[in-house]
Amino acid sequence: MKRLLLFLYFITTVGQAQTYLTETGNVNFLSKAALNEFNGVSDQLQGLIDLDQNLLDFYLDLNTLKTGIGLRDKHMRDNYLETEEFPFAEFTGKMNSVPMLSIGSKSPVTAIGTFKIHGVEREIEVKGTVNKNAKGELELEAEFDLLLSDFSIPIPKLVFYELAENQKVTIKATLTPKMK
Amino acid sequence: MNRLLLLTLFGMLPFSLLAQLERSLANPNPPVELIFHAPRHINLLTVEPLSKKSMHFAIMHTFGTLDGGIQNLFGLDNGANIQFSFEFALSDKFSLAASRSSTDKVYNVFGRYHIFQQTQNGSKPFSLSVAGGGGVNTSKYDFLPEPSPNFSERMSYFGQIMLARKFSPKISFQLTPMMAYFTDPRPIYQIEGTENLYVALGFSGKLKVTDRSSLTLQFIPNLNTDLRNNFGIGWDVEAGGHVFQMYFVTSQALNEQYLLAGGNGTIGDEFRLGFNVNRIFATGKKKK
Repeated sequence: MKRLLLFLYFITTVGQAQTYLTETGNVNFLSKAALNEFNGVSDQLQGLIDLDQNLLDFYLDLNTLKTGIGLRDKHMRDNYLETEEFPFAEFTGKMNSVPMLSIGSKSPVTAIGTFKIHGVEREIEVKGTVNKNAKGELELEAEFDLLLSDFSIPIPKLVFYELAENQKVTIKATLTPKMK
Repeated sequence: MNRLLLLTLFGMLPFSLLAQLERSLANPNPPVELIFHAPRHINLLTVEPLSKKSMHFAIMHTFGTLDGGIQNLFGLDNGANIQFSFEFALSDKFSLAASRSSTDKVYNVFGRYHIFQQTQNGSKPFSLSVAGGGGVNTSKYDFLPEPSPNFSERMSYFGQIMLARKFSPKISFQLTPMMAYFTDPRPIYQIEGTENLYVALGFSGKLKVTDRSSLTLQFIPNLNTDLRNNFGIGWDVEAGGHVFQMYFVTSQALNEQYLLAGGNGTIGDEFRLGFNVNRIFATGKKKK
């Protein structure tokens, strides 16, 4: 029995070594409309990759997104993302297959899961790469397109030429192994 | 043994809870934003702050009275009072501004400081800001028989406190106790009062009608003089980086001192059309 417990304990701690976390992932969205192009950035993407359980979990406090113009940020929060009611963009899912990671080589991965923003959930597929660096951290890069109308964020006619319907989202994050 | 089993299982519990991250806000108590659409609301300054290094440019116009009808194109023929105003934010709380309005060719310089902002959880139930500054009348008075006023006689000053609250996502309200001081209020100036000091209480209201437009109100009763009260009603529209403000007001004045000392007309028969364009620019380092 004691041996079984030790074994269980061993399993959970080993499992932990396969869990990677970040609180400072970089998110960038690009809005490319006919008359205006701008991007928004946040360095506060929170993320978890659990290679054992094949679990991905990421979320972003949308209030941390900055477009470079204060008033535009306020309009984005107040009129489009409605962050007081829906503060987070969230993704929870798994990888198509967990790549065998060797240090210094980028492996392509495909994530499938639920993306939620503005109170709307949709199943999405995201392509990206994972790289294990010399420090044993995971370097993640991913990119996907997001249609505002898919998440019931309407674009008023007045700003049709200034705000793109299709937002290109880029994610870059370095996840460190979870400490004991 | 059972106890040991429990303990071990308990020890493992936090790891299984970690399956998903707990959602938490970067700033657990964010400020209430966009109490008003822009740093100006019809004629009055608001508590709406600029973010550091951004610049607010406002072009404001008020035209002649509407009573001339179509003959004067509802006052548009009668010449406009135009004010150009540039406000630059040195920090997220403090901004400096310069403006020039055509009535008496007044150049104004003022500062605005945001003491605190209303917060979403109500720990601060309202926003509080102050503004103050002074201006100089640069009209030529060569035609006067008496010597024309010297620099200090052309000066006027203003100070105001702004208290605002967003009562609901649709309704915002601001109280603005304000005062203006003219060092030498001559009859030749385009003001109606003869006193040096003017004290007034400004009311500003906003009723959001659609996601991006609002019905706006302004009422500025004078407290220490019998000058009539400025009254305005308008419509604000957000369009991309611009905020357009169209309104009817009873006064042609656009800067703070003249708002208090100027001719304020009468509600009902001396409305005039007014129009502001507000634009916020980002300055400083450019993101790639």
